[in-house]
Amino acid sequence: MKLTFTLNGRPCTAEAPDHWTVLDLLRDGLSLMGTKYGCGEGVCGTCTVLADGRPIRACLVLAAHVRGRSLVTVEGLEANGRLDPLQTAFAERGAAQCGYCTPGMMLAAKALLAENPAPTAHEVRAALSGNLCRCTGYTKIIEAVLAAAPGRK
Amino acid sequence: MRLTPFTLVEPESLSEALAAVARLDGEARVVSGGTALVSMIRLGLIKPDRLVSLHRIPGMAEIRADGSALELGAMATLADVERSRPVREGWPLLAEAVRRVATPAIRTSGTIGGNLAYAEAASDPAPALLCHDAEVRLAGPRGARTVPIRQFFRGFYEAALEPGEIVAAVRVPRPPAGSRGGYVKFTSRSAEDKPLVGVAALVVLDAAGRCQDVRIGLGGAAPTPIRAQRAEEALLGTPLTDDAARAAAEAAAEEAEPLSDLMGSADYRREMIRVWVRRLLVALRDGAT
Repeated sequence: MKLTFTLNGRPCTAEAPDHWTVLDLLRDGLSLMGTKYGCGEGVCGTCTVLADGRPIRACLVLAAHVRGRSLVTVEGLEANGRLDPLQTAFAERGAAQCGYCTPGMMLAAKALLAENPAPTAHEVRAALSGNLCRCTGYTKIIEAVLAAAPGRK
Repeated sequence: MRLTPFTLVEPESLSEALAAVARLDGEARVVSGGTALVSMIRLGLIKPDRLVSLHRIPGMAEIRADGSALELGAMATLADVERSRPVREGWPLLAEAVRRVATPAIRTSGTIGGNLAYAEAASDPAPALLCHDAEVRLAGPRGARTVPIRQFFRGFYEAALEPGEIVAAVRVPRPPAGSRGGYVKFTSRSAEDKPLVGVAALVVLDAAGRCQDVRIGLGGAAPTPIRAQRAEEALLGTPLTDDAARAAAEAAAEEAEPLSDLMGSADYRREMIRVWVRRLLVALRDGAT
């Protein structure tokens, strides 16, 4: 099937078999490897991307269901050669260890900050509740999201 | 890891969808958000030949409220229900229960109709919808029908859907005037898990503090979501004292038929029903939720 949608701000047309998920489409169809495959069951959150500004599990959503929608992956966070404030905050505060959960963490945080520019630490934890980090790095991740929150400056 | 291949059908009307489901060649499954169905395919629990997606059917995700009821199209996502102003203002118990489903990204895709059709015993929305005496609107090859939610859950992961039927919408009557409601979810492993037990309640207290109306819905307490009828009967017309709340919780624990699974044993579930029914009733009385 042919799919037309917006990917990281640009129009995108792609071919995908019926049974592909958004994750298959991104990694295998479009060679965007920033979005990771973790559990495949929607539990770990490492495949989180944004669809129309809200977080989705790329491993659970059928590719067909992105038709006409706007997707943002970790590759789309950087704009005009400048890192997103979240990326800068994650780097400066050491909020990544192995890095496998990082794209999903940043996109879940991106959705939160778009809706709530001045979240509390509790709200950050709730927004990231579906993203697992097995390096035990939650403290620095939460600090980084709070540091990048535009309404808290 | 790829999904086992299937053909995807994307009808643009409910009647086309019903026809696609009714075709006799191979096994068809209806897909809405896919959060449960795609997992089941990935895990090899089902191997459908054909998925019939409801995404392209206009109007199926609408959320409408009037003086008497809320009408949720089956394709309304849990995130949309949770954020809907009419739902938050008029049906706060339902908004609260929906907000407790899994994680934000699951609620973006998961739908209220999919949640009901899946007939999960440990559903968060179901106990709230049971308290609201919701009605499930079905579309099928032999026409439309409406099933009261108390008759909708028929068994373990089994909804009252006849072959070829699709959940089209849910009608949720307005809660009684002066009612207070709350939902508590107890998980035994991690915050985003299914509830070990979930308790929803709606109560109306008269001027003397007696229960004029009391409804208690339980998730994870039986093979299906249930109303704790004996607990309700024990409370009706009596003042909601600490002792009355304890007796009602005892009745709920007794009438529950919990299962044992990886989240906890049947005995532990029964004990947690006793604890959380009592705590919720006392909190509602004290205006704490």
